[in-house]
Amino acid sequence: MPPETELQLPAAPAVKALACPACGGSVALRAAGYSVSVVCQYCSSILDVTDPQVKLITEYRQAAEALEIQLGSRGTLRGIEWEAIGYLQRSAADGGAWDEYLLFNPYHGYRWLITDGRGWSLGEQLTVSPSYSDYETMMLGDRAYTRFYEDSSARVNYVLGEFYWRVAVGEEVVGADWVRPGSMLSREKNAHEVSWTRSILLDHKEMAEAFGVQKGASWPPMPHQPSPNAAWLGTGFKIFAGMFLLLTVLILAFGGTSWVTAGRFPIAPDGTERTVTLGPIHLGHLYQRVEIRADVPRLENGWVDLDYTLVDRKTQQVYEAYGAAERYSGSDSDGPWTEGSRRSSISVASVPAGDYDLVVDYKGNRWNSSTTWDYARGMSVEDPGWLNQDNQPEVVVEVRGGALFASSFFIALLLLGLPLLIGLIRHIQFDKARQAESDFAPTGFAALTQSSEDDEE
Amino acid sequence: MSLSVNCPNCGAEVVFRSAALPARVCDYCHSLLSRSDTGVMVVGKSSPLPFDVSPVQIGMRGRIEDQPFEVIGRVRWAWTDGAWNEWLLLFGDGSHGWLGDAMGQFMLMRERPFSQVQTRTLKDIGKGKEAVPGAEITLDARKLTIVDARDVLCIAAEGELPFTPTPGWRVYSVDLRGPKGECASLQRDTLATSFYQGHYVTLAELAPTGLRAFEGWTLPAYAA
Repeated sequence: MPPETELQLPAAPAVKALACPACGGSVALRAAGYSVSVVCQYCSSILDVTDPQVKLITEYRQAAEALEIQLGSRGTLRGIEWEAIGYLQRSAADGGAWDEYLLFNPYHGYRWLITDGRGWSLGEQLTVSPSYSDYETMMLGDRAYTRFYEDSSARVNYVLGEFYWRVAVGEEVVGADWVRPGSMLSREKNAHEVSWTRSILLDHKEMAEAFGVQKGASWPPMPHQPSPNAAWLGTGFKIFAGMFLLLTVLILAFGGTSWVTAGRFPIAPDGTERTVTLGPIHLGHLYQRVEIRADVPRLENGWVDLDYTLVDRKTQQVYEAYGAAERYSGSDSDGPWTEGSRRSSISVASVPAGDYDLVVDYKGNRWNSSTTWDYARGMSVEDPGWLNQDNQPEVVVEVRGGALFASSFFIALLLLGLPLLIGLIRHIQFDKARQAESDFAPTGFAALTQSSEDDEE
Repeated sequence: MSLSVNCPNCGAEVVFRSAALPARVCDYCHSLLSRSDTGVMVVGKSSPLPFDVSPVQIGMRGRIEDQPFEVIGRVRWAWTDGAWNEWLLLFGDGSHGWLGDAMGQFMLMRERPFSQVQTRTLKDIGKGKEAVPGAEITLDARKLTIVDARDVLCIAAEGELPFTPTPGWRVYSVDLRGPKGECASLQRDTLATSFYQGHYVTLAELAPTGLRAFEGWTLPAYAA
């Protein structure tokens, strides 16, 4: 036979038809040569197809259940077309049940579609074995999976379609699972074999397009479901850190303006009130904090009251503030002491832009003279106070505007941080719910918020 | 040396490509033929291969480990719970290897003289001991696990082969697997023990051309 003819051989049929020995129905064999058992779609009897002579293994007389994915239907997942050829319903000892569909493509072998009613995962049997990196962690290549379900028995409750092993209702395997966001690692053991499967979580849209299935329940989250907040939280924290730095730099660079000495005014020694008007003071920002500080350099054993009034020249709007400086000193058996400060600092928040006059009403008060005992010299000392010409008191008033409030810095941080905080709380809630089904203690953020009640469970 | 003769049974042309592959199944009458210095003779009859949907077929070519290969033979083995194909690959340098095709997974293995195998457990199995699935052994400083041990039966064959695949030939077969995709297989019959060693491969890694086409299935992009 010339080779050209060989190359043009027509494509082989992909499906082989069998007659069910129990009910006579025509059963399609979709993975001929690989399949070992087939469950008749008409009577649910389990057939052995390893021999050309189809044998009846277990006879049933029951109509097949309606499945979410019709056996024989096809869908494309991650670029590969798959045909659903088998279905298993399995359950664990604790009562949790799930569905497994066996997918086949002659060029790509087998895959599994697994769902417990929430989402769908695509499973592939591994030809490599993962290894423990520590008691809780299984490594597959360089990817770490955290333990989730411990070894427990899973039973086959219902089968339909064809399989590459001798399937039976009631068959049990011992399974354990490890998870990482988006994928799960499962180990199944029976008396003869240990096999590993890695499943990746599929997007429900992807599954709807491929096999036309409905969206499942979305809460509680699945063991390997990635937290919807985890993805942006990492980026969010980086942005937050960046903004924090930037704000700090901005405040250090532009936050303050220099103090302007507005004036130096003598204080009446007899304690009468004086008034001075300073201005104009130009405030350029839309709103700003205005800081006023006063210094009475030679204040000793007395006080100075300061009433400030900021008056907008245009609107006559008034902003009032009050300050005081007081200082006392003396000497006693413990030595010299001082109390109070010669300086006074006050601020007026949120002053609108404009040209202002600062009216300062001030008066000083002190004892005209006092006698103190000077221990050092062992004698009493007469202090003439403000009556002394050298001690002529004066007040220095300084003003600055445009300074950012530290509080506005914190408000900015709060505004930036609030979505992060909400995201973090939601992430923790999600992760707690996700790990609630686990056989092991919570890990990660969920462990931080673990209550004592959880410990007792 | 390649040898072209007429099948002593049906007269169809049969080709023996290598002296290392003295067995052949006639493509037309399924006679088992054996080549020797005295010529080609009929030594039995093979059964027709059952229909399967394996993507591999005689004539498929590919490339692996920097060597081109062609699929020139196949033996189909069965055990109580299934069956699989062992495809014979003839490499560009004249050597041959096997492509195991079971449960949708592929294993590339080459024969290794069993006398080279120093592992006590494997030597004992070669001498007739039973293998224990789950047991770990060390071979060339690598850990392998016995995953399977059972009697298997040759049910059919095609093409050129290094041995005569008599249907009904019973072999005790032990499969081993390593953590990084390594695999090995020990085959023992009443006369001898042979040993094969290799690793899992994907069809894509074989860069195949001439894959078998199936109605309703699209060939993978790499093979189109």
